[in-house]
Amino acid sequence: MQSYVHVILAGLSSGMFIWLVASGLTLIFGVLGVLNFAHGSFYMLGAYCSFTVLKYLGAGYWAGLLLGPVGVCAAGFVVERFFLRHVYRLALPYQLLLTFAFVLIFDNLVKIVWGGGALSPPTLSFLGGTIPILGRNFPVYNLFIIAVGPAVALLLWALLEKTWYGRIIRASSSDREMAASLGVRVPALFTGVFVFGTWLGALGGGLAVPYVGLLTPGMGETIIIEAFIVAVIGGLGSLKGAFVGALVIGVLSAFGTRFFPAFDMFLIFILMAGVLLLRPQGLFGAAR
Amino acid sequence: MGKRGMNRRDFLKLTGAGSLAAAAAGGLGGGLLTPKWVWGATPSVKGPIKVGYQAVLSGTLAGYGEFHKMGAVMAVEEINAKGGIAGQKVEMEFRDSTTKPDEAIKNARYFVDSWGADFLAGIDSSAQALALAPLMPQLDRVIMFTHAATEKVTEDFVFKKGVKQIFRNCMPTYNDGHAAAFIAKDFPAVKWSTVSPKYEYGFTCWKMFQESLKGLKPSAQFIAESFAPFGTTDFRSHINTIMDAKPDGFYSTEWAGECISFVRQAKEAGLFDKVKYAMFPVGAAMDVLEGLGKDMPDNLWISARYFFQYPNSKENNDWVARFRKRWNHYPAYVSETGFSAIYAFKAAVEKAGSKDTKAVIAALEGMDLDCPAGKRHFRKEDHQAMYDVPWGQTVSDPNYPFKVMKNMKVIPAKEYFNRPPFEGPGTSPPFK
Repeated sequence: MQSYVHVILAGLSSGMFIWLVASGLTLIFGVLGVLNFAHGSFYMLGAYCSFTVLKYLGAGYWAGLLLGPVGVCAAGFVVERFFLRHVYRLALPYQLLLTFAFVLIFDNLVKIVWGGGALSPPTLSFLGGTIPILGRNFPVYNLFIIAVGPAVALLLWALLEKTWYGRIIRASSSDREMAASLGVRVPALFTGVFVFGTWLGALGGGLAVPYVGLLTPGMGETIIIEAFIVAVIGGLGSLKGAFVGALVIGVLSAFGTRFFPAFDMFLIFILMAGVLLLRPQGLFGAAR
Repeated sequence: MGKRGMNRRDFLKLTGAGSLAAAAAGGLGGGLLTPKWVWGATPSVKGPIKVGYQAVLSGTLAGYGEFHKMGAVMAVEEINAKGGIAGQKVEMEFRDSTTKPDEAIKNARYFVDSWGADFLAGIDSSAQALALAPLMPQLDRVIMFTHAATEKVTEDFVFKKGVKQIFRNCMPTYNDGHAAAFIAKDFPAVKWSTVSPKYEYGFTCWKMFQESLKGLKPSAQFIAESFAPFGTTDFRSHINTIMDAKPDGFYSTEWAGECISFVRQAKEAGLFDKVKYAMFPVGAAMDVLEGLGKDMPDNLWISARYFFQYPNSKENNDWVARFRKRWNHYPAYVSETGFSAIYAFKAAVEKAGSKDTKAVIAALEGMDLDCPAGKRHFRKEDHQAMYDVPWGQTVSDPNYPFKVMKNMKVIPAKEYFNRPPFEGPGTSPPFK
């Protein structure tokens, strides 16, 4: 029993963590139609900026979590406003190439600013402890991540479905030209959505600082692959799909690692292959 | 083709450069007549001596490349300041190997075919070392592996297949697997477990550890194992596997950033409270010690392929001081192997009186070389350097911002290194 509960908890926390990264990726794809490889870099920058605020500026963890991702939004703004905007009309491979170029640029930037070595944050004073669950310690911070995931999902849902901005965003994503002719400033709106997506990725990075306990240049490349898998399983562009996909992947891989160690990676890819074969648009994706 | 031969113009250039270098080295007092000038004019060693070094400078392991570079650059600076190798200046080009085998091959080809390297060095990943090994007869330059640890590259390629261009001056998997067992046999723990990398290195070391420990202590059992793929950041499911099995000994060859993440997460879960004997064969790498800082638990058993506190010799302590002065860092093990690789080339060229690959190989075989890590002996059969490294328990020390070692134990290399012919009984420890 103890074993199962802890496997589920480990799966939920890693799933929610992937969701945080996948949410921004999905939002940007859903609205702008761009597969943003550099999303992993925003995650990395978010982690490094939060770490810097936390450690070198002497501010607390919460200040780091708040300020770090906001700083990264500036990078997101520059990427969209001056580069990405010019390739919307081009074929997908051009967008991938451009965003991949930013992956390399940001990796090197991090190396120049923070050095190539691994950085490890100090243990948190608040939320840093563990609580015994059925006789085994579980980090309080991971429970916090499990709570933050649905909170972000709720926030996104409310924003897109219940607000005026949300309606405009949805209208622009389904028909750019019609929205523009109705007076929506689509380019500015897209910049805004991209920056918001960047913030989500960077927030994931900030939350990763104590969760992963490690910062390295290139840390975004591992997570972006998981986020892509989640986005594909859930249906590219579907936030609901990404949320469910992240939960499924998180829990499934935790079970795989614990009970079928020889197949743990295999399980995820077989699931992805199965979804692509039987439901190519993903679990919740609309047929395009 | 003209590279190896020599014409009159080359000779004049060479003597000119040689006398300049000698004049610089000799200071104000008429350098032209110092013995170094004779070296410079010796036609058999034609300068400069070019070293193509590659290590990982990008991605999550980028810190390793930086540490390689610090060691190697420092050696080149010191050697050139003292007149170079056999009077010739050393030139080094440093390239990012990434961790992909094809990138390592591309770099090696560039170094040899385009840049004109006399020596190759570096390489972090075992897969890269194994990809380069079959190419070495064709490239025909000596390569010194300074980090890649797979024993197959020396046992299979050098010893069995006779690829003599390969040398290695860092510890192979023997320390991570066999030596760990020599340390573990004295613990009361009998039920052992592991979380280790899910690739060749992790499997090989765990197998060596089990075989050696079984031989040394027949009561040992191996009750749980969980292998984590490269790039794992979340080890919690793996930790659950271990804690469910209730072992009393734990062994892990997780290294670099993954070791940092693992130790932090295992500490949170209380693994080190439940399992008293935990061993990390590469836990004493500087990136791990500095990365974890005060969060590194006490009393874990750690080792590395060199640790700056060992040996406590004048040569090593001086070197650590020079290194800190030059780079404002404690040397990582790859800094030491990178540094010592360049000095091995120097010793070999000067002994051979030539930088010709064949002559250099002959000079390196069986050579004893004094290094910061102590004496290295390049075993003739497999070209593996034999030297000793310490094991010890993590402890706080007010002089350092990270944990260091107490209760240091050193198992002599000859007691646990596999022995030629590398198959059949009596070739792997424990030796009778």
